[in-house]
Amino acid sequence: MSEESILKFSNVNFAYEAERTILENINFEIPRGDFACIVGPNGGGKTTILKLILGLIKPVNGTIEIFGKKPDEIREKVGYVPQFSKFDSGFPVSVLDVVLMGCLSKSFWWGRHSKKQIEMALTALDDVGLGGFEHNSFADLSGGQRQRAMIARAIMAEPELLLLDEPTASVDVKGTEQLYNMFAEMNKKFTIIIVSHDIGFVSAHVKTVICVRKTLQIHPVSELTGESLQKLYGPEVHIVRHDHRCSEKGHVCHHS
Amino acid sequence: MSSFLTDLLELPFLFNAVLAGVLCSIAGGIVGTFVVLRRITYIAAAIAHCILGGLGAARYLSVVYGLEWLRPIYGAILTALLSALIIGIISLRAKEREDTVISALWAVGMAAGVLFIFKTPGYGEDLMSYLFGNILMVSSQDLWLIGILDIILLVITTIFYRQIIAVCFDEEFARTRGLSVEFYYLLVLCMTALTVVLMVSAVGIIMVIAMLTLPVAIGCKLFKRVSKIMISATGLGIFFNVFGLMASYEPNLPSGALTIIIAGLTYFATVLFFMFKKTKIRNKIN
Repeated sequence: MSEESILKFSNVNFAYEAERTILENINFEIPRGDFACIVGPNGGGKTTILKLILGLIKPVNGTIEIFGKKPDEIREKVGYVPQFSKFDSGFPVSVLDVVLMGCLSKSFWWGRHSKKQIEMALTALDDVGLGGFEHNSFADLSGGQRQRAMIARAIMAEPELLLLDEPTASVDVKGTEQLYNMFAEMNKKFTIIIVSHDIGFVSAHVKTVICVRKTLQIHPVSELTGESLQKLYGPEVHIVRHDHRCSEKGHVCHHS
Repeated sequence: MSSFLTDLLELPFLFNAVLAGVLCSIAGGIVGTFVVLRRITYIAAAIAHCILGGLGAARYLSVVYGLEWLRPIYGAILTALLSALIIGIISLRAKEREDTVISALWAVGMAAGVLFIFKTPGYGEDLMSYLFGNILMVSSQDLWLIGILDIILLVITTIFYRQIIAVCFDEEFARTRGLSVEFYYLLVLCMTALTVVLMVSAVGIIMVIAMLTLPVAIGCKLFKRVSKIMISATGLGIFFNVFGLMASYEPNLPSGALTIIIAGLTYFATVLFFMFKKTKIRNKIN
Protein backbone atom coordinates (compact mmCIF):
# COMPACT_ATOMS: atom_id res chain seq x y z
CA MET A 1 0.00 0.00 0.00
CA SER A 2 1.43 3.34 -0.97
CA GLU A 3 2.07 5.72 1.84
CA GLU A 4 -0.61 8.28 1.23
CA SER A 5 -3.48 5.88 0.54
CA ILE A 6 -5.49 4.90 3.60
CA LEU A 7 -7.96 2.50 1.99
CA LYS A 8 -7.16 -0.17 -0.55
CA PHE A 9 -9.41 -2.75 -2.23
CA SER A 10 -7.48 -5.48 -4.06
CA ASN A 11 -9.36 -7.89 -6.34
CA VAL A 12 -12.43 -7.87 -4.08
CA ASN A 13 -15.40 -10.04 -5.02
CA PHE A 14 -18.62 -10.20 -3.08
CA ALA A 15 -21.85 -12.19 -3.36
CA TYR A 16 -24.63 -12.82 -0.84
CA GLU A 17 -25.54 -16.01 -2.67
CA ALA A 18 -23.20 -18.02 -4.85
CA GLU A 19 -24.91 -17.30 -8.16
CA ARG A 20 -25.65 -13.62 -7.58
CA THR A 21 -22.46 -11.58 -7.74
CA ILE A 22 -22.81 -8.09 -6.28
CA LEU A 23 -19.24 -6.88 -6.73
CA GLU A 24 -16.71 -8.19 -9.20
CA ASN A 25 -12.98 -7.65 -9.11
CA ILE A 26 -13.00 -4.31 -7.30
CA ASN A 27 -9.69 -2.44 -7.16
CA PHE A 28 -9.26 1.07 -5.87
CA GLU A 29 -7.33 3.21 -3.43
CA ILE A 30 -8.39 6.24 -1.49
CA PRO A 31 -5.66 8.71 -0.54
CA ARG A 32 -5.63 10.52 2.82
CA GLY A 33 -7.68 13.71 2.67
CA ASP A 34 -9.78 12.57 -0.27
CA PHE A 35 -13.45 13.45 -0.67
CA ALA A 36 -14.80 10.55 -2.70
CA CYS A 37 -18.33 9.93 -3.88
CA ILE A 38 -19.51 6.42 -4.74
CA VAL A 39 -22.28 6.62 -7.35
CA GLY A 40 -24.21 3.96 -9.20
CA PRO A 41 -27.67 2.57 -9.83
CA ASN A 42 -29.76 0.98 -7.06
CA GLY A 43 -28.58 -2.55 -6.41
CA GLY A 44 -25.25 -1.73 -8.05
CA GLY A 45 -23.28 -2.47 -4.89
CA LYS A 46 -22.63 1.00 -3.42
CA THR A 47 -23.83 0.21 0.08
CA THR A 48 -22.12 -3.19 -0.13
CA ILE A 49 -18.78 -1.40 -0.55
CA LEU A 50 -19.49 0.66 2.58
CA LYS A 51 -20.41 -2.48 4.52
CA LEU A 52 -17.18 -4.12 3.39
CA ILE A 53 -15.18 -1.10 4.57
CA LEU A 54 -17.00 -1.24 7.92
CA GLY A 55 -16.25 -4.93 8.29
CA LEU A 56 -19.96 -5.76 8.60
CA ILE A 57 -19.55 -8.27 5.78
CA LYS A 58 -16.46 -10.05 4.49
CA PRO A 59 -15.37 -10.31 0.85
CA VAL A 60 -15.68 -13.70 -0.83
CA ASN A 61 -12.13 -13.19 -2.02
CA GLY A 62 -9.64 -10.37 -2.33
CA THR A 63 -8.39 -8.12 0.47
CA ILE A 64 -9.40 -4.81 1.99
CA GLU A 65 -6.90 -2.75 3.93
CA ILE A 66 -7.70 0.34 5.98
CA PHE A 67 -4.72 2.11 7.48
CA GLY A 68 -2.85 -1.11 6.71
CA LYS A 69 -5.22 -3.28 8.77
CA LYS A 70 -8.30 -5.44 8.29
CA PRO A 71 -11.64 -3.59 8.53
CA ASP A 72 -12.79 -5.23 11.77
CA GLU A 73 -9.50 -4.42 13.52
CA ILE A 74 -9.68 -0.70 12.94
CA ARG A 75 -13.29 0.22 13.67
CA GLU A 76 -12.49 3.15 15.94
CA LYS A 77 -10.86 5.03 13.05
CA VAL A 78 -13.94 4.75 10.84
CA GLY A 79 -17.06 6.84 11.44
CA TYR A 80 -20.32 5.79 9.81
CA VAL A 81 -23.56 7.62 9.01
CA PRO A 82 -26.21 5.10 7.90
CA GLN A 83 -29.06 5.74 5.53
CA PHE A 84 -31.55 8.10 7.04
CA SER A 85 -34.70 6.08 6.42
CA LYS A 86 -33.59 3.28 8.72
CA PHE A 87 -34.54 4.95 11.99
CA ASP A 88 -37.52 4.78 14.22
CA SER A 89 -37.96 8.55 14.34
CA GLY A 90 -40.00 8.34 17.54
CA PHE A 91 -37.29 6.58 19.56
CA PRO A 92 -37.28 8.15 23.04
CA VAL A 93 -33.73 9.48 23.41
CA SER A 94 -32.17 12.92 23.69
CA VAL A 95 -29.86 14.30 20.99
CA LEU A 96 -26.92 13.96 23.38
CA ASP A 97 -27.81 10.29 24.04
CA VAL A 98 -27.71 9.63 20.30
CA VAL A 99 -24.34 11.34 19.83
CA LEU A 100 -22.85 9.49 22.82
CA MET A 101 -23.67 6.20 21.10
CA GLY A 102 -20.65 7.05 18.95
CA CYS A 103 -18.29 6.01 21.72
CA LEU A 104 -19.69 2.66 22.78
CA SER A 105 -17.11 -0.05 22.92
CA LYS A 106 -16.54 -3.43 24.43
CA SER A 107 -14.46 -2.14 27.32
CA PHE A 108 -17.07 0.33 28.40
CA TRP A 109 -19.25 -0.72 31.36
CA TRP A 110 -21.66 0.71 33.89
CA GLY A 111 -23.36 2.96 31.40
CA ARG A 112 -21.80 6.21 32.59
CA HIS A 113 -19.98 8.52 30.24
CA SER A 114 -16.86 10.37 31.26
CA LYS A 115 -16.75 14.16 31.24
CA LYS A 116 -14.37 13.97 28.32
CA GLN A 117 -16.79 11.88 26.27
CA ILE A 118 -19.60 14.34 26.94
CA GLU A 119 -17.33 17.22 25.94
CA MET A 120 -16.42 15.41 22.72
CA ALA A 121 -20.10 14.86 21.99
CA LEU A 122 -20.90 18.55 22.56
CA THR A 123 -18.03 19.58 20.28
CA ALA A 124 -19.34 17.26 17.58
CA LEU A 125 -22.80 18.81 17.92
CA ASP A 126 -21.25 22.27 17.53
CA ASP A 127 -19.41 21.09 14.42
CA VAL A 128 -22.64 20.02 12.74
CA GLY A 129 -24.48 23.18 13.74
CA LEU A 130 -26.60 21.61 16.46
CA GLY A 131 -24.96 23.33 19.41
CA GLY A 132 -27.56 23.93 22.13
CA PHE A 133 -29.79 21.09 20.94
CA GLU A 134 -28.20 18.44 23.17
CA HIS A 135 -31.13 18.19 25.59
CA ASN A 136 -33.79 18.25 22.89
CA SER A 137 -35.63 15.07 22.14
CA PHE A 138 -34.32 13.30 19.03
CA ALA A 139 -37.93 12.70 17.96
CA ASP A 140 -38.63 16.45 17.92
CA LEU A 141 -35.86 17.30 15.45
CA SER A 142 -36.57 18.02 11.79
CA GLY A 143 -35.33 15.55 9.17
CA GLY A 144 -32.26 17.63 8.37
CA GLN A 145 -31.41 18.10 12.05
CA ARG A 146 -31.71 14.37 12.69
CA GLN A 147 -29.32 13.76 9.81
CA ARG A 148 -26.87 16.18 11.42
CA ALA A 149 -27.20 14.43 14.77
CA MET A 150 -26.26 11.18 13.02
CA ILE A 151 -23.20 12.87 11.56
CA ALA A 152 -22.26 14.17 15.02
CA ARG A 153 -22.55 10.60 16.34
CA ALA A 154 -20.16 9.43 13.64
CA ILE A 155 -17.52 12.14 14.19
CA MET A 156 -17.65 12.39 18.00
CA ALA A 157 -15.09 9.63 18.46
CA GLU A 158 -12.76 11.51 16.08
CA PRO A 159 -12.38 8.98 13.28
CA GLU A 160 -9.97 9.47 10.39
CA LEU A 161 -12.28 8.13 7.72
CA LEU A 162 -15.93 9.17 7.52
CA LEU A 163 -18.47 7.09 5.56
CA LEU A 164 -21.90 8.47 4.71
CA ASP A 165 -24.65 6.45 3.06
CA GLU A 166 -26.92 8.74 0.98
CA PRO A 167 -26.72 11.65 3.43
CA THR A 168 -28.79 13.95 1.23
CA ALA A 169 -31.55 11.52 0.25
CA SER A 170 -34.22 13.27 2.32
CA VAL A 171 -32.88 16.82 2.17
CA ASP A 172 -33.93 19.59 -0.25
CA VAL A 173 -31.54 21.34 -2.67
CA LYS A 174 -30.63 24.11 -0.25
CA GLY A 175 -30.12 21.65 2.60
CA THR A 176 -27.95 19.51 0.33
CA GLU A 177 -25.77 22.48 -0.46
CA GLN A 178 -25.41 23.30 3.24
CA LEU A 179 -24.56 19.70 4.06
CA TYR A 180 -21.88 19.56 1.36
CA ASN A 181 -20.37 22.81 2.58
CA MET A 182 -20.20 21.22 6.02
CA PHE A 183 -18.59 18.07 4.58
CA ALA A 184 -16.03 20.24 2.77
CA GLU A 185 -15.18 21.81 6.13
CA MET A 186 -14.89 18.37 7.76
CA ASN A 187 -12.78 17.18 4.84
CA LYS A 188 -9.97 19.31 6.27
CA LYS A 189 -9.88 16.86 9.20
CA PHE A 190 -11.18 13.56 7.79
CA THR A 191 -11.04 11.58 4.61
CA ILE A 192 -14.66 11.33 3.42
CA ILE A 193 -16.48 8.72 1.33
CA ILE A 194 -20.10 9.41 0.41
CA VAL A 195 -22.58 7.12 -1.32
CA SER A 196 -25.02 8.83 -3.68
CA HIS A 197 -27.79 7.51 -5.88
CA ASP A 198 -27.46 10.49 -8.23
CA ILE A 199 -25.40 9.14 -11.11
CA GLY A 200 -25.15 12.26 -13.18
CA PHE A 201 -24.18 15.04 -10.83
CA VAL A 202 -22.14 15.45 -7.68
CA SER A 203 -21.26 18.38 -5.45
CA ALA A 204 -18.36 20.55 -6.62
CA HIS A 205 -16.60 19.71 -3.36
CA VAL A 206 -16.17 16.06 -4.38
CA LYS A 207 -12.65 15.22 -5.53
CA THR A 208 -13.04 11.64 -6.76
CA VAL A 209 -16.05 9.87 -8.21
CA ILE A 210 -16.25 6.09 -7.98
CA CYS A 211 -18.86 4.44 -10.17
CA VAL A 212 -20.07 1.03 -9.06
CA ARG A 213 -22.24 -1.28 -11.06
CA LYS A 214 -20.96 -4.71 -10.12
CA THR A 215 -17.58 -3.54 -11.45
CA LEU A 216 -15.92 -0.30 -10.53
CA GLN A 217 -14.62 2.70 -12.45
CA ILE A 218 -13.17 5.95 -11.33
CA HIS A 219 -14.38 8.98 -13.23
CA PRO A 220 -13.35 12.61 -13.26
CA VAL A 221 -15.87 15.40 -12.82
CA SER A 222 -16.22 18.60 -14.78
CA GLU A 223 -18.14 21.81 -14.35
CA LEU A 224 -21.58 22.07 -15.84
CA THR A 225 -21.51 23.83 -19.17
CA GLY A 226 -25.05 24.09 -20.43
CA GLU A 227 -26.82 27.14 -19.11
CA SER A 228 -30.06 25.29 -18.48
CA LEU A 229 -28.28 22.60 -16.49
CA GLN A 230 -26.55 25.27 -14.44
CA LYS A 231 -29.89 26.84 -13.73
CA LEU A 232 -31.31 23.50 -12.68
CA TYR A 233 -28.52 22.33 -10.43
CA GLY A 234 -26.71 25.57 -9.56
CA PRO A 235 -22.97 26.27 -9.64
CA GLU A 236 -22.38 23.98 -6.64
CA VAL A 237 -22.75 20.85 -8.76
CA HIS A 238 -20.35 19.11 -11.13
CA ILE A 239 -21.18 16.61 -13.87
CA VAL A 240 -19.74 13.10 -13.71
CA ARG A 241 -17.72 12.19 -16.80
CA HIS A 242 -18.78 8.61 -17.37
CA ASP A 243 -17.04 8.83 -20.73
CA HIS A 244 -13.62 9.12 -19.14
CA ARG A 245 -11.74 6.65 -16.91
CA CYS A 246 -9.09 7.44 -14.35
CA SER A 247 -6.41 5.18 -12.93
CA GLU A 248 -7.14 2.95 -9.95
CA LYS A 249 -5.21 5.34 -7.75
CA GLY A 250 -8.05 7.75 -8.16
CA HIS A 251 -8.35 11.12 -9.64
CA VAL A 252 -7.90 14.45 -8.00
CA CYS A 253 -9.83 17.08 -9.82
CA HIS A 254 -8.38 20.56 -9.83
CA HIS A 255 -11.10 23.10 -10.24
CA SER A 256 -10.11 26.22 -12.03
CA MET B 1 -62.54 -1.37 49.36
CA SER B 2 -62.23 -0.72 53.08
CA SER B 3 -62.34 -4.44 53.78
CA PHE B 4 -59.46 -4.83 51.33
CA LEU B 5 -57.32 -2.48 53.39
CA THR B 6 -58.12 -4.11 56.74
CA ASP B 7 -57.64 -7.59 55.29
CA LEU B 8 -54.36 -6.50 53.73
CA LEU B 9 -52.80 -6.20 57.16
CA GLU B 10 -54.38 -9.36 58.53
CA LEU B 11 -54.20 -11.84 55.67
CA PRO B 12 -50.65 -12.67 54.59
CA PHE B 13 -51.75 -14.00 51.19
CA LEU B 14 -53.23 -10.64 50.33
CA PHE B 15 -50.08 -8.86 51.41
CA ASN B 16 -48.03 -11.31 49.34
CA ALA B 17 -50.23 -10.60 46.34
CA VAL B 18 -49.67 -6.86 46.58
CA LEU B 19 -45.94 -7.36 47.01
CA ALA B 20 -45.85 -9.70 44.01
CA GLY B 21 -47.67 -7.09 41.95
CA VAL B 22 -45.11 -4.44 42.93
CA LEU B 23 -42.09 -6.68 42.28
CA CYS B 24 -43.22 -7.88 38.88
CA SER B 25 -44.10 -4.33 37.87
CA ILE B 26 -40.49 -3.28 38.44
CA ALA B 27 -39.19 -5.96 36.07
CA GLY B 28 -42.06 -5.29 33.68
CA GLY B 29 -41.42 -1.55 33.48
CA ILE B 30 -37.75 -1.99 32.67
CA VAL B 31 -37.76 -5.04 30.43
CA GLY B 32 -41.09 -4.13 28.85
CA THR B 33 -39.46 -0.91 27.62
CA PHE B 34 -36.72 -2.91 25.91
CA VAL B 35 -39.34 -5.23 24.39
CA VAL B 36 -41.37 -2.34 22.99
CA LEU B 37 -38.34 -0.41 21.69
CA ARG B 38 -36.78 -3.49 20.09
CA ARG B 39 -40.23 -4.46 18.70
CA ILE B 40 -40.20 -8.02 19.94
CA THR B 41 -43.63 -8.20 21.61
CA TYR B 42 -44.52 -11.11 19.37
CA ILE B 43 -41.46 -13.03 20.51
CA ALA B 44 -42.24 -12.18 24.15
CA ALA B 45 -45.75 -13.58 23.69
CA ALA B 46 -44.33 -16.77 22.19
CA ILE B 47 -41.97 -17.22 25.16
CA ALA B 48 -44.89 -16.68 27.54
CA HIS B 49 -46.93 -19.43 25.92
CA CYS B 50 -43.99 -21.86 25.82
CA ILE B 51 -43.84 -21.53 29.60
CA LEU B 52 -46.96 -23.67 29.94
CA GLY B 53 -44.88 -26.66 28.82
CA GLY B 54 -42.37 -26.03 31.60
CA LEU B 55 -45.00 -25.39 34.25
CA GLY B 56 -46.86 -28.54 33.26
CA ALA B 57 -43.74 -30.72 33.09
CA ALA B 58 -42.45 -29.57 36.48
CA ARG B 59 -45.86 -30.10 38.11
CA TYR B 60 -46.16 -33.54 36.52
CA LEU B 61 -42.69 -34.64 37.65
CA SER B 62 -43.20 -33.33 41.16
CA VAL B 63 -46.58 -35.08 41.61
CA VAL B 64 -45.88 -38.34 39.81
CA TYR B 65 -42.30 -38.88 41.00
CA GLY B 66 -42.73 -37.19 44.35
CA LEU B 67 -40.08 -34.52 43.66
CA GLU B 68 -41.45 -32.02 46.12
CA TRP B 69 -38.59 -29.57 45.68
CA LEU B 70 -39.45 -29.21 42.01
CA ARG B 71 -41.81 -26.25 41.97
CA PRO B 72 -43.66 -25.35 38.74
CA ILE B 73 -41.94 -21.96 38.62
CA TYR B 74 -38.54 -23.69 38.21
CA GLY B 75 -39.86 -25.46 35.15
CA ALA B 76 -41.19 -22.12 33.94
CA ILE B 77 -37.80 -20.41 34.32
CA LEU B 78 -36.01 -23.21 32.50
CA THR B 79 -38.46 -23.37 29.59
CA ALA B 80 -38.61 -19.60 29.29
CA LEU B 81 -34.83 -19.26 29.00
CA LEU B 82 -34.61 -22.24 26.66
CA SER B 83 -37.36 -20.99 24.36
CA ALA B 84 -35.86 -17.47 24.41
CA LEU B 85 -32.52 -18.84 23.23
CA ILE B 86 -34.07 -21.10 20.59
CA ILE B 87 -36.30 -18.34 19.22
CA GLY B 88 -33.45 -15.83 19.40
CA ILE B 89 -31.04 -18.01 17.48
CA ILE B 90 -33.69 -18.86 14.89
CA SER B 91 -34.54 -15.21 14.31
CA LEU B 92 -30.84 -14.29 14.05
CA ARG B 93 -30.10 -17.08 11.57
CA ALA B 94 -33.23 -17.28 9.46
CA LYS B 95 -34.15 -13.76 8.46
CA GLU B 96 -37.20 -14.93 6.57
CA ARG B 97 -40.17 -16.92 7.83
CA GLU B 98 -39.12 -16.47 11.46
CA ASP B 99 -42.72 -15.73 12.41
CA THR B 100 -43.78 -19.16 11.17
CA VAL B 101 -41.18 -20.92 13.32
CA ILE B 102 -42.01 -18.76 16.34
CA SER B 103 -45.72 -19.49 15.99
CA ALA B 104 -45.00 -23.21 15.78
CA LEU B 105 -42.89 -23.14 18.96
CA TRP B 106 -45.60 -21.12 20.67
CA ALA B 107 -48.20 -23.81 19.96
CA VAL B 108 -45.92 -26.78 20.63
CA GLY B 109 -44.98 -25.35 24.04
CA MET B 110 -48.62 -24.98 24.97
CA ALA B 111 -49.53 -28.41 23.64
CA ALA B 112 -46.80 -30.04 25.76
CA GLY B 113 -48.16 -28.17 28.78
CA VAL B 114 -51.72 -29.30 28.18
CA LEU B 115 -50.60 -32.94 27.86
CA PHE B 116 -48.58 -32.84 31.08
CA ILE B 117 -51.42 -31.20 32.99
CA PHE B 118 -53.86 -33.77 31.61
CA LYS B 119 -51.66 -36.66 32.80
CA THR B 120 -51.01 -35.13 36.24
CA PRO B 121 -53.25 -36.72 38.90
CA GLY B 122 -55.41 -34.34 40.87
CA TYR B 123 -57.57 -31.39 39.95
CA GLY B 124 -57.23 -29.67 36.64
CA GLU B 125 -57.56 -26.22 38.10
CA ASP B 126 -53.82 -25.66 37.80
CA LEU B 127 -54.34 -25.06 34.11
CA MET B 128 -56.71 -22.19 34.78
CA SER B 129 -54.38 -20.47 37.22
CA TYR B 130 -51.44 -20.83 34.80
CA LEU B 131 -53.42 -19.43 31.90
CA PHE B 132 -55.20 -16.62 33.70
CA GLY B 133 -53.01 -16.10 36.73
CA ASN B 134 -53.92 -16.11 40.38
CA ILE B 135 -51.95 -13.55 42.27
CA LEU B 136 -53.62 -14.57 45.54
CA MET B 137 -51.87 -17.96 45.31
CA VAL B 138 -48.34 -16.47 45.34
CA SER B 139 -46.45 -18.04 48.24
CA SER B 140 -43.68 -16.39 50.22
CA GLN B 141 -41.27 -18.83 48.54
CA ASP B 142 -42.41 -17.49 45.17
CA LEU B 143 -41.92 -13.97 46.45
CA TRP B 144 -38.30 -14.66 47.30
CA LEU B 145 -37.69 -16.03 43.85
CA ILE B 146 -39.45 -13.06 42.24
CA GLY B 147 -37.34 -10.70 44.35
CA ILE B 148 -34.09 -12.41 43.35
CA LEU B 149 -35.02 -12.38 39.66
CA ASP B 150 -35.88 -8.69 40.01
CA ILE B 151 -32.43 -7.97 41.42
CA ILE B 152 -30.74 -9.97 38.63
CA LEU B 153 -32.67 -7.99 36.01
CA LEU B 154 -31.83 -4.67 37.67
CA VAL B 155 -28.12 -5.52 37.83
CA ILE B 156 -27.99 -6.58 34.17
CA THR B 157 -29.84 -3.40 33.18
CA THR B 158 -27.47 -1.09 35.07
CA ILE B 159 -24.44 -2.79 33.55
CA PHE B 160 -25.62 -2.90 29.95
CA TYR B 161 -28.16 -0.07 29.79
CA ARG B 162 -26.40 2.10 27.18
CA GLN B 163 -25.39 -0.83 25.03
CA ILE B 164 -28.89 -2.29 24.97
CA ILE B 165 -30.40 1.09 24.07
CA ALA B 166 -27.80 1.61 21.33
CA VAL B 167 -28.56 -1.82 19.86
CA CYS B 168 -32.33 -1.15 20.00
CA PHE B 169 -31.86 2.23 18.33
CA ASP B 170 -29.48 1.28 15.53
CA GLU B 171 -28.25 -2.27 15.36
CA GLU B 172 -25.94 -1.76 12.40
CA PHE B 173 -24.19 1.26 13.88
CA ALA B 174 -23.74 -0.56 17.19
CA ARG B 175 -22.05 -3.32 15.23
CA THR B 176 -19.63 -0.83 13.68
CA ARG B 177 -18.70 0.26 17.21
CA GLY B 178 -17.63 -3.30 17.93
CA LEU B 179 -20.67 -4.36 20.00
CA SER B 180 -21.77 -7.95 19.72
CA VAL B 181 -25.32 -7.27 18.60
CA GLU B 182 -26.22 -10.96 18.79
CA PHE B 183 -25.18 -11.11 22.45
CA TYR B 184 -27.34 -8.13 23.41
CA TYR B 185 -30.28 -9.46 21.42
CA LEU B 186 -30.13 -12.80 23.22
CA LEU B 187 -29.59 -11.00 26.53
CA VAL B 188 -32.75 -8.93 26.04
CA LEU B 189 -34.66 -12.09 25.11
CA CYS B 190 -33.45 -13.88 28.25
CA MET B 191 -34.39 -10.87 30.38
CA THR B 192 -37.79 -10.92 28.69
CA ALA B 193 -38.11 -14.62 29.50
CA LEU B 194 -37.42 -14.04 33.21
CA THR B 195 -39.83 -11.10 33.33
CA VAL B 196 -42.54 -13.14 31.68
CA VAL B 197 -42.10 -15.85 34.34
CA LEU B 198 -42.55 -13.24 37.09
CA MET B 199 -45.65 -11.84 35.50
CA VAL B 200 -47.30 -15.16 34.79
CA SER B 201 -47.98 -15.56 38.51
CA ALA B 202 -49.86 -12.27 38.52
CA VAL B 203 -51.84 -12.21 35.30
CA GLY B 204 -51.26 -15.60 33.69
CA ILE B 205 -49.76 -16.69 30.41
CA ILE B 206 -52.43 -15.34 28.10
CA MET B 207 -52.49 -11.81 29.48
CA VAL B 208 -48.82 -11.39 30.28
CA ILE B 209 -48.07 -9.61 27.03
CA ALA B 210 -50.59 -6.88 27.83
CA MET B 211 -48.97 -6.28 31.22
CA LEU B 212 -45.55 -6.15 29.59
CA THR B 213 -46.49 -3.65 26.90
CA LEU B 214 -49.48 -1.53 28.00
CA PRO B 215 -47.72 0.41 30.80
CA VAL B 216 -44.77 1.04 28.45
CA ALA B 217 -47.07 2.10 25.63
CA ILE B 218 -48.68 4.65 27.97
CA GLY B 219 -45.22 5.75 29.15
CA CYS B 220 -44.15 6.29 25.53
CA LYS B 221 -47.11 8.66 25.06
CA LEU B 222 -46.15 10.67 28.13
CA PHE B 223 -42.35 10.83 27.98
CA LYS B 224 -39.57 11.00 25.42
CA ARG B 225 -36.67 9.50 27.39
CA VAL B 226 -36.06 5.80 27.88
CA SER B 227 -35.36 6.15 31.61
CA LYS B 228 -38.53 8.16 32.22
CA ILE B 229 -40.59 5.63 30.26
CA MET B 230 -39.15 2.83 32.42
CA ILE B 231 -39.99 4.63 35.65
CA SER B 232 -43.48 5.64 34.54
CA ALA B 233 -44.19 2.14 33.23
CA THR B 234 -43.13 0.66 36.57
CA GLY B 235 -45.36 3.10 38.44
CA LEU B 236 -48.30 2.40 36.15
CA GLY B 237 -47.73 -1.35 36.46
CA ILE B 238 -47.86 -1.12 40.24
CA PHE B 239 -51.00 0.99 40.05
CA PHE B 240 -52.75 -1.42 37.66
CA ASN B 241 -51.83 -4.47 39.71
CA VAL B 242 -52.84 -3.04 43.06
CA PHE B 243 -55.95 -1.35 41.73
CA GLY B 244 -56.97 -4.52 39.90
CA LEU B 245 -56.51 -6.53 43.06
CA MET B 246 -58.49 -4.06 45.16
CA ALA B 247 -61.33 -3.77 42.66
CA SER B 248 -61.60 -7.54 42.26
CA TYR B 249 -61.41 -8.36 45.96
CA GLU B 250 -64.90 -7.69 47.24
CA PRO B 251 -66.94 -8.69 44.18
CA ASN B 252 -64.68 -11.77 43.99
CA LEU B 253 -63.68 -11.32 40.34
CA PRO B 254 -60.52 -12.73 38.71
CA SER B 255 -57.91 -10.10 39.56
CA GLY B 256 -55.64 -10.74 36.54
CA ALA B 257 -58.41 -10.07 34.05
CA LEU B 258 -59.56 -6.96 35.89
CA THR B 259 -55.97 -5.65 36.03
CA ILE B 260 -55.66 -6.03 32.26
CA ILE B 261 -59.01 -4.33 31.65
CA ILE B 262 -57.94 -1.35 33.77
CA ALA B 263 -54.57 -1.15 31.97
CA GLY B 264 -56.25 -1.42 28.56
CA LEU B 265 -58.84 1.25 29.34
CA THR B 266 -56.12 3.58 30.61
CA TYR B 267 -54.13 2.99 27.43
CA PHE B 268 -57.06 3.78 25.15
CA ALA B 269 -57.94 6.83 27.23
CA THR B 270 -54.35 8.07 26.86
CA VAL B 271 -54.36 7.51 23.10
CA LEU B 272 -57.68 9.31 22.74
CA PHE B 273 -56.48 12.18 24.90
CA PHE B 274 -53.40 12.73 22.76
CA MET B 275 -55.41 12.39 19.54
CA PHE B 276 -57.83 15.01 20.82
CA LYS B 277 -54.97 17.29 21.84
CA LYS B 278 -53.35 16.95 18.41
CA THR B 279 -56.52 17.83 16.49
CA LYS B 280 -57.06 20.78 18.80
CA ILE B 281 -53.59 22.11 18.00
CA ARG B 282 -54.15 21.47 14.28
CA ASN B 283 -57.46 23.35 14.37
CA LYS B 284 -55.77 26.25 16.07
CA ILE B 285 -53.14 26.43 13.32
CA ASN B 286 -55.80 26.32 10.62
